Amino acid sequence: MSANMDHIWKFVPHQHQGPAQQTGADDHIYSPKNHNGAFKSRGLTTFMGAPYCPPDRHAIRAMGAKVCFLGAPWDQGQIVRAGTSQGASGLREATTQYFSYMFEYDVDLLTFFKVVDCGDIPNVPGNNAKSHELIYRYVTECLEGGAKVIMSGGDHSLPIPGSRALSHFTRKGKMGYLHVDSHLDAGPDWAGNKITNCSGPARAIELPNCNAENMAHLGSRNSLNPKDWYDFYVDNDIRVVAMGEIIDRGVEACTKEIFERAWRGTETVYFSWDTDSIDISCMPGSTSPECYGLKAREAIQLAKTAGRYGCDVLEVVELAPYFDVSHMSIKMAANMIYHYLGSRAKTLIEQGKQP
Amino acid sequence: MNPAKSYAHLFSPLGGDAGDNYRAPNVLTFLRSTYVALNAEALKSSGARYAFLGVPFDEGNIGKPGSEEGPREFRLASQEYFSYWFEYNVDLHGTMVDCGDVSMPKVSPEVARERIYRAVREVLKAGLVPIIVGGDRSMSIAAAKALSDHIGSKKMGYFHFGAHLDMSDSWAGERNLAPCALARITELPNLAPGNVAHIGARNSMNPKDWIDLAKQRGIRFNSMFELLDNGIYPVVEKAIDRVWKGTDAQYLSFNFNVMDASAAPGVTSTEPGGLESREMMRIAEMIAKRKQVSVIDVSELCPAFDVSGTAARLAVCVVTRIMAALAKERGEEIDARIRRSDLVGS
Repeated sequence: MSANMDHIWKFVPHQHQGPAQQTGADDHIYSPKNHNGAFKSRGLTTFMGAPYCPPDRHAIRAMGAKVCFLGAPWDQGQIVRAGTSQGASGLREATTQYFSYMFEYDVDLLTFFKVVDCGDIPNVPGNNAKSHELIYRYVTECLEGGAKVIMSGGDHSLPIPGSRALSHFTRKGKMGYLHVDSHLDAGPDWAGNKITNCSGPARAIELPNCNAENMAHLGSRNSLNPKDWYDFYVDNDIRVVAMGEIIDRGVEACTKEIFERAWRGTETVYFSWDTDSIDISCMPGSTSPECYGLKAREAIQLAKTAGRYGCDVLEVVELAPYFDVSHMSIKMAANMIYHYLGSRAKTLIEQGKQP
Repeated sequence: MNPAKSYAHLFSPLGGDAGDNYRAPNVLTFLRSTYVALNAEALKSSGARYAFLGVPFDEGNIGKPGSEEGPREFRLASQEYFSYWFEYNVDLHGTMVDCGDVSMPKVSPEVARERIYRAVREVLKAGLVPIIVGGDRSMSIAAAKALSDHIGSKKMGYFHFGAHLDMSDSWAGERNLAPCALARITELPNLAPGNVAHIGARNSMNPKDWIDLAKQRGIRFNSMFELLDNGIYPVVEKAIDRVWKGTDAQYLSFNFNVMDASAAPGVTSTEPGGLESREMMRIAEMIAKRKQVSVIDVSELCPAFDVSGTAARLAVCVVTRIMAALAKERGEEIDARIRRSDLVGS
């Protein structure tokens, strides 16, 4: 990899080279002049039309990327129906229908964060442990490259290697851990298996720098929540904001509360966001969708509020395009990330900070 | 804490030979409950409170077919859930049995109705609460009559959830079709008009004679606009009051087209402008505050139109939430000290 790849940002969109290429640096945030540009046309289908960057710490630094997108097509860590291995592809597909400029925050996400797509993390079918090790290594590379990570699942076992990577990366400081999900996911194990998609928080609390006082769960409801999962929160005194409370208090107040808890005395926060926290009517394309959830406008409010606090790894999991209807779920997932990044950018700009 | 009782089903599977994933049952039953033959003695000795009855009957519909597949889909969706509810700290395990489907003769609706009637009576005779999943809404006619006959001279209340009034005195000369459900049920001798509630009516699949008949019989229905204008919960609270006021038995009849089409696409006749799932969840809790219910039915589920199991999962969640909230109201919360046995002391 060449020492300096920074020049790539002088010509965006990155993937439209050829006889009719548009070379204005800002072309991608305006209506097209000559042709449709990167909107719904594509070179490689990357997240946000971002350039591909090898998942290598030196390459990421050389490109100056501050946000890395990682796909994790792993769905053998889960206890319900399969299908999330297609999630990252679905999410990339949805982003071809959007601009990287967001008027609500008046920012171009692509150039502000220098977003890159690091491709998909490989896995070993039938081997959760080996696949998790690969996830751990890829997330570590991105963090060591100086970037924040957006990881798209894949099943909800991803936070197990993901939070381990962030914990080790932040070894000197404390880590907060947030789990937004309709399920409590705190199984000590599932039929003896400790690394399934229903043990994220149970494994996170075992990390040396992650404490119960910086952990919270939001969005729980209905009866796919066996008792040992709930006992975990009660016995460890971890805050659970169940759905009824969100409806009573409003999503903004509840989101503020959990992020303030996660950031209290910590240096980093891992934010694990399951698509099934959103109501099945707005997110049918999830492996275990539930009624009585967040509506689309509330999910976007959650993303906006989260953006004011930030995190180092945002993971959107259990997206299953097989069960989707009219692209509503993949577009919802794209918007969870876009509104988070937009709000994050606006906050940083207001604070006079760089990403 | 009773040491003799096993609490293993409250928790994640423990592994070993019996450690199957919870979604792989041997027999497909409602929430993995035991199958018990439809016989009053057998039901009585099961010790259960609820008996599930599937009614794959689709010959009373006047619109789109497909509700015949409802019971199977409902059972399937229920495999996704546990009997334990953290929101109420109650356990429904052992409180219900599955009596299978009422066998349907096909092309002989009169015989089918008679079988539905007898099946519901058998469950009531055993002292259990039937949970009946259809099937088109005409099944409610037979099932409500079974409750009415079962209680004899006592009084019953009836709660109809749906987008349509179903007050057709006759439809093309037929008097026992789905759109006639409320018209027939309000003729039951021990159901006073003041003990009938209907919520969610909207849109124009409500011909004028249905409205006229409702008015003529003094049936108070709360349209969707009325719910939105005057507040869903205060209006529903009054509707619940009517059903439980001075009655000995209460019948809850759900057609989930009371929900907005986005919250329940898998019903035979979706309607826009309905309730959200969080509103129905609150209503389920409000009902449970009355501490008892005699029959619950769910009709018109139609998996062919469903999306990602949306309507089936909603139906399961509403029915089981009522059961769970009722258990809490009865003070059946489980011991707060119960923990996974393999974790105790670790």
